[in-house]
Order: sequence, then C-alpha cells, then structure tokens
Amino acid sequence: MRVTIKLFATFRDGRFKVEEQDLSEGTCVLDVIQPLNIQAEELAICLLNGKDANEHTVLNDGDTLALFPPVGGG
Amino acid sequence: MKFEGRYLRNKKTLSDEDQLKLANSCVAIVGCGGLGGYIAEQLARVGVGRLVLFDGDRFEVSNLNRQIMATELNIGQWKVEVAHQRLKSVNSEVQVEAIRGWFEEDRAPELLKNVDLVCDALDSRDSRVMLERVCHQMNLPLVYASIAGWFGQLGVSLPGDFSVSRLYGHGERGVESMWGNPAFTPAVLASLSVAETVKLLVGRVPSLRHAWLQVDLLAMEFERFEIQ
Repeated sequence: MRVTIKLFATFRDGRFKVEEQDLSEGTCVLDVIQPLNIQAEELAICLLNGKDANEHTVLNDGDTLALFPPVGGG
Repeated sequence: MKFEGRYLRNKKTLSDEDQLKLANSCVAIVGCGGLGGYIAEQLARVGVGRLVLFDGDRFEVSNLNRQIMATELNIGQWKVEVAHQRLKSVNSEVQVEAIRGWFEEDRAPELLKNVDLVCDALDSRDSRVMLERVCHQMNLPLVYASIAGWFGQLGVSLPGDFSVSRLYGHGERGVESMWGNPAFTPAVLASLSVAETVKLLVGRVPSLRHAWLQVDLLAMEFERFEIQ
C-alpha cells in the first residue's frame, strides 16, 4: 500500500518534507517513525488524513500521515 | 500632551467604532518574554485600553537576541516593570498593570477580573494547557502561540474548544530546548496573535478557531490545520 508521510518543523531536519512510502498491510504509525529515528515521545501531534491519531494507529492505502514535534517556547 | 492623530494610520483597517471597542478592552498577556513583549507592544500601539502583564522573571543577557523589551541597560530588571515603562512611553493612554510573578491558577478569578481576552505567551506546554482550562472556566477567549527555532504554531481557543490541550497535551519538552528562539520567530508569531486578538476584540470572526496555523520560516510556509 502507498502512504504519504508529511513531516513538519524540526522533524524535517535531515529527513524530508513529504515522502510517499510503500508499506505492508498492517503497518502502524510506530513502524513509520522508528526507521526515521523519531521516538513516540517526540510526537506532539499526529494527524491521519487530518484527524487525530497516535503511534498505534494502523495505516491504510492512500492515507496521509502528518507528524509534528512539540513546539512550546514563548 | 495630546497626540491627536495617533490612530490615523489604523484607518480604514479599524473604524472609529472598532477603535472605541479597543480602547474599552482589557487584555491579559501571560508571559512577557519573546512573544509577550511584542504582543504587549503591538496591543499598546493599536490602542487597547488596558493591558495586564504577567511575568516572574528579570531580564538576562540571553534575552537580548529576541525580546523587544530587553536592552543592555535593563539587564537584571523585572520584565513586567520594564515593559510597563516602555508601554507608557509608547502610548500613555493605555493603562498597564504589571504583575511581577507567575500566573497562579488558584488566583485566576482575581487576576483576570475585568479582562476581556487572554494572550498566551508562556514558554511551557503544561502551563499553556492550564491557562486554557482557566480561560474556559472564566468564559474568556484565548489566543495562543508557541515558538521553537524557525517554527511556530498559533490559534484561538474559545470556551469549550480545548484546542490547546489537543495540541499541547502530548509529547515531551518542546524542541525549543535544542533549537532556541531567534529574533524573527517571536516577532512573527506575536504579530499573528495580535491580528487574531484585534479581530476578537472588535467583534470580527477569528480565522483560527478550531484550527491552528503551522508556521515554518525556514521553508516560508504557513499551513492551516483543522482541529477535528
């Protein structure tokens, strides 16, 4: 299945902005972030097709996953 | 001294009626650092009648890179007191209340008495969630913003929305601990916050309710996400 991964803010550093990946059925968000060297604790916002998801959410063909790090400064 | 024509250049962005609404409004700015300093400066210039500033810190040398109120001459002074002095010299028609200390949830009804809107200019995720909870309890609109490096986020949370807890309730310490905050990011995010604040105060519909703006000054991208 094909899934579009979008990274935001500092997650783009040394990685990519957007990438389409070929993934096997049953892949969850955690399986996507591990090879990217992103820990689940570093995920502040995780959107699957624009809706709230988390590291355990299972992906489907055609999905778009958007991942954001915590931004807390003032 | 009278400064007739002070708001001449606000027209026709802001009508006389809008200007009057601003003059009769009170905004609390929680945090008077990178974001809060610029927010206070702009709200005073645009003509908001009363500002309540909260911050429990004094200026340090490391604030000089980005905090508009910080100068080489006021290192060591309380941020809210410096801001008070500066704002008086910018617009003496604005009443400023400077509260030297951190915002205490238990004292919220007293601290936010007569306030019409709250601007979040805090620097931690937990305190933002707390501030939203307080605002909702007191039926106050909240304009929130946060920054880290080249990046920022902002939006509007009206009572019952819980946008801040959705965005800031997960994840560890913000990436600003590694990326810091350069001069331009707080200035941009503060300006965006003030634009939303002014809209709410004059009775226009804010653009970022049930949504947030993801700001990337490295890629120069401003992307809006719905909070569903």
